[in-house]
Amino acid sequence: MLDLLNRRFLFVGGKGGVGKTTIAAALASMGAEQGKSCLIVSTDPAHSLGDIFSRPIGSREMPLAANLVGLEIDPETETNRFIDAVKRNMRRLVRPELYREIDRQMELARDAPGAAEAALLERVAELMAEGLDRYDLVVFDTAPTGHTLRLLSLPEVMAAWSDGMLAHHERSRHFASLLAKLGARKPNGDELASIDHEPERRSGDSASQIRALLLARRRKFHRARRLLLDDTLSAFLLVLIPERLPILESRKALRMLRRFDIPVAAMVINRLLPRDVEGEFFNRRREQEAEYLREIEHTFAAIRRYRIPLLERDIHDFASVCRISRLLADELRRSSGLP
Amino acid sequence: MTHKKRQHASPAGGFRRAVQQLETAAEEYYRAPYRGAIARAKRDEDDLFMLFVFAEMLGIPNPAAYFTLELQPLLLERFHDWHRRMGMEHSPLDHFRCC
Ligand SMILES: Nc1ncnc2c1ncn2[C@@H]1O[C@H](COP(=O)(O)OP(=O)(O)OP(=O)(O)O)[C@@H](O)[C@H]1O
Ligand SMILES: [Mg+2]
Repeated sequence: MLDLLNRRFLFVGGKGGVGKTTIAAALASMGAEQGKSCLIVSTDPAHSLGDIFSRPIGSREMPLAANLVGLEIDPETETNRFIDAVKRNMRRLVRPELYREIDRQMELARDAPGAAEAALLERVAELMAEGLDRYDLVVFDTAPTGHTLRLLSLPEVMAAWSDGMLAHHERSRHFASLLAKLGARKPNGDELASIDHEPERRSGDSASQIRALLLARRRKFHRARRLLLDDTLSAFLLVLIPERLPILESRKALRMLRRFDIPVAAMVINRLLPRDVEGEFFNRRREQEAEYLREIEHTFAAIRRYRIPLLERDIHDFASVCRISRLLADELRRSSGLP
Repeated sequence: MTHKKRQHASPAGGFRRAVQQLETAAEEYYRAPYRGAIARAKRDEDDLFMLFVFAEMLGIPNPAAYFTLELQPLLLERFHDWHRRMGMEHSPLDHFRCC
């Protein structure tokens, strides 16, 4: 079985607050410590990567430690970049009097539902493609489950969309070439006159530009999907804590991931109560925890599971990340049967 | 080549040419409906494509709205004919006020 850290892309997901950012940071640090060049990327619009490394990170690649670079994708920045490019293209094509109208319409598009998500997908796909060349390991610290599942299902959905658009476009091209073979005369009767009035060369140009754009889109989506589904390259790690709601949510998440064929490599059971704390209260908590752990062992028997204890302090700097990273490394070694 | 020229020069060649012209006319007569049908099929295909690209702006939810944006500038020149054909007298879009 392939070692987790030999994968090129690790996605760390789970319910809100269970320790996704912590575990993602620990994995990336572990990779960096082994001499791999690592990038950790936060896809959660409410970033906390910077908090955990106790320094601002932002949407540019920021060195965090030896071999370790961090990045927080800002959907707003990405959306703006995209919309501004579209705006520039439009301005090239319309009269200057219409610039204000274009700006108004584009402002609406900027805030349209799904725009931020699409921009995020775009950036993730880009980072995966680039990451393959530039890094040994890219760890994605993702947003709580629902958001992330949608994000990961998008490549499939959008690949199908671009296939469909291309198919329509191809059919139209096919008809156009048939028409060309039949000769350029006007068809009889003509409500169809508009077709012939189309400025022939220019519409030909824009048709090939449309095709080029769609093909580029399709390539991107299919590539992201291929990388994501390849379980020698990508793995999804589900983090949970031994409590009722995270267990329920993990179950749902697994079903969804399976539906999209996304391989789940392991689960990290985080924040286990320490054994050596005495007292009535803690005994009762541990009893409850034991029940939930049994449930987890039973429900997720087919998936590898790693356990991380609750530490006495929050994970708030690189040193504490490294502590979690060492604990996780022990777990990885233990479960792979190495000394 | 020379063979053809000789035909054209002779009376028989003139006759053949007339027949050929007739054949072309007849072909044209039969082709026209095909061309009409194909042109119509092409137009339907293009209209559908326009609809997919501009759906969101017409109030039809489109999960791919974000990615259709970049196609819109390239379809500007078709836009006027399209919205007229769709039975919309004026452009439904603010920024494509083409009429
Ligand atoms: N094993 C642990 N021991 C002690 N504190 C932990 C442990 N794991 C996580 N924490 C703390 O729990 C809090 C939540 O962790 P983290 O930010 O990693 O969760 P998350 O799943 O990324 O949250 P969000 O859904 O908000 O992104 C943080 O304050 C973190 O320091
Ligand atoms: Mg987080």
